[in-house]
Amino acid sequence: MYLYSGTVTAMFFKLTPTSGQPLYLQLMQQIRHAAETGALKDGDQLPGIRTLAEELVVSPNTVAKAYSELEHEGLLELRQGSGAFVCVKRRTRSLTDQVHLARRRIRELIQRLRDDGLLDEEIRRAFEAELLYPAEIARKR
Amino acid sequence: MLWYKAWLETRARFLTSLMTLTIFCGVFVHHALYISCSDTFPCAQGLIRPGRQADLYFLLMVTQNYVVIMWVLAVVLLGMGGIVRERALGTSSLTLSLPVSRARLLGVRVGMGVLQAIALAVAPWVTVFVVSRLAGLPVFITQVGLYVLLLVGGGLVYFTMAILVSSLVTGEYTAPATAFGVVLLTAIIFDAWLRRFNVWRLVTGDFSIDRTTYLLSTHLPWLGILASLSVGVLMLLASTIVVQRREF
Amino acid sequence: MMSDNVIVTQALSKSYGSAEAVRGLNLSVGQNRITAFLGRNGAGKSTTIKMLLGMVRPSAGSGTVLGKQITDAEENRELRRRVAYVAEDKPLYGYMTVEQTIRFARSFYRDWRADVEKKLLENYQLPLRRKVKMLSKGMRTKLALLLAFARRPELLILDEPSEGLDPVGVEHFLQALVGRSAEGVSVFFSSHQIAEVERVADQVCILEKGCLLVDASLDQLRQFYRRIDLVFSSTPPEREFRITGVERIQTTGRQMSVFASKNAEAVVERAHDLNAVSVEVVPVGLRDIFLETVKEN
Repeated sequence: MYLYSGTVTAMFFKLTPTSGQPLYLQLMQQIRHAAETGALKDGDQLPGIRTLAEELVVSPNTVAKAYSELEHEGLLELRQGSGAFVCVKRRTRSLTDQVHLARRRIRELIQRLRDDGLLDEEIRRAFEAELLYPAEIARKR
Repeated sequence: MLWYKAWLETRARFLTSLMTLTIFCGVFVHHALYISCSDTFPCAQGLIRPGRQADLYFLLMVTQNYVVIMWVLAVVLLGMGGIVRERALGTSSLTLSLPVSRARLLGVRVGMGVLQAIALAVAPWVTVFVVSRLAGLPVFITQVGLYVLLLVGGGLVYFTMAILVSSLVTGEYTAPATAFGVVLLTAIIFDAWLRRFNVWRLVTGDFSIDRTTYLLSTHLPWLGILASLSVGVLMLLASTIVVQRREF
Repeated sequence: MMSDNVIVTQALSKSYGSAEAVRGLNLSVGQNRITAFLGRNGAGKSTTIKMLLGMVRPSAGSGTVLGKQITDAEENRELRRRVAYVAEDKPLYGYMTVEQTIRFARSFYRDWRADVEKKLLENYQLPLRRKVKMLSKGMRTKLALLLAFARRPELLILDEPSEGLDPVGVEHFLQALVGRSAEGVSVFFSSHQIAEVERVADQVCILEKGCLLVDASLDQLRQFYRRIDLVFSSTPPEREFRITGVERIQTTGRQMSVFASKNAEAVVERAHDLNAVSVEVVPVGLRDIFLETVKEN
């Protein structure tokens, strides 16, 4: 049984068309992040595809694909006519702790890199570069 | 609402021509009739001699001579416009994206023009009829009707010529200039070489008027009218083909 | 779901004398998607659209829109009933008032939406009784767009729709576009505003000199197009990098910039094999993809 407030939870999403990542993936990540940090709780209702598309000014197909993939993963439940509902399982809750830990580690790493003399912009680009090519190549190095 | 659009586009031209023709005929005939019975000019010396009905009908023939010129110029102006002109104005993309065929677009334009041409023929002659009644020198309604019929039957070919010209020539001034040029040219050619086929003479009653009474015979020159209308129909067909084949 | 294409052309061509405006175009625009049509001025975008709508006759080839043959006058008239089109110059009749214009357009289409008409009139604040020739350019654009949006056509074709709109107007327009798409309307629009296209388009077609150079989903373009910036300790070995997917290589001194439409990993691997001093992979925005694609041709 799901508890729901009966109204749609207002959310902030920010999609960047130029970041080299498909918009639907960005949206999925942001919804996942919201679920992990508790901004979205179990049973919360996300806006309908059309509403969210108009709000973010993106193609409805982007929203539809994101919702559909998240439903596949089990994070969302799409109910015909009513909308998309969040189902946060116990497993995801522990992810929140993992994310908190990761954030702390990154904070420490960034501080050390800054101490080494790297500028913030250089640090950011290094992170993006490492993230952008697949792990296999990294392993070959 | 294509008829509404056609009306909006031709409204100014139509109403101006209507006013001009009506006022001209009213004033002209009024002047001719009343001048014959004033204090300065006693009836006996006036334009319409008493007991001389032929004078009255001679006046009608003269009126038609003036009317035909103005009417032809008016209907030629009414024939201007259309989608070819719209292309120069920049609205053809809108008109052509409507779910109507180009033939229908042309058809409505022609239909509106024909109705307006008929109105432009009827209005001045009705004015003549009324003025003559008011002057106490009534004319036969049949004669008025015959003049209208000759005007429309013989003269519509000039309207269709204008439609064809507007489908071929795009300029705002070059199209009417070309059409008026054709009017002038045909007038000269008819007068010089084709007297037997002169449509101007047909319209002014030259082929059907009695030279003593100046009454129009009810036996209209049907062949002439038919020929003129047939040429008109051919021009409309040509216009349809031109417009259908044109690229926008 | 993607089985039906709303627009399909086969080797569609148009020549004006010796100038070829469109050359052998094979376009397929999918249903229920937003497809953007990019190209330089004179690339043939407007000519293509005019051929689709029966205003221009193709010199060769054929096409269908919503399953109807574009070269058959009767079928084209039938498809125009189900298509809403706004031309680049936002044509309107100057002598009609805003109200008359709306009434005129409404009379031709059974799919008119009075509710959308009302909402857009409010949003755009168009003065009903003013003649169109007295409207500002921005208002004329909004009215022209309203005539298309206040319907439920199967396909919406727009040629440079947001040109002449201020930023607020652009937002309203994009929202209306996205709203229509959500209702199942397929959208095909040409634009120079790359930033707008990047936000809302699902599929991108790039036309240059009458030929289709790119026809891909925007997600694919985002995932695979990359720029790899390399620094070598000596002259960069350009020849080693001419592999599949590499579109362009620019070398200045010891720096080399590789523009790849796919296979970026192979480029990175090659760079490491050749002992590059620095390797940086950067995503490429649609503007750069467009400029590189068009330049190279």
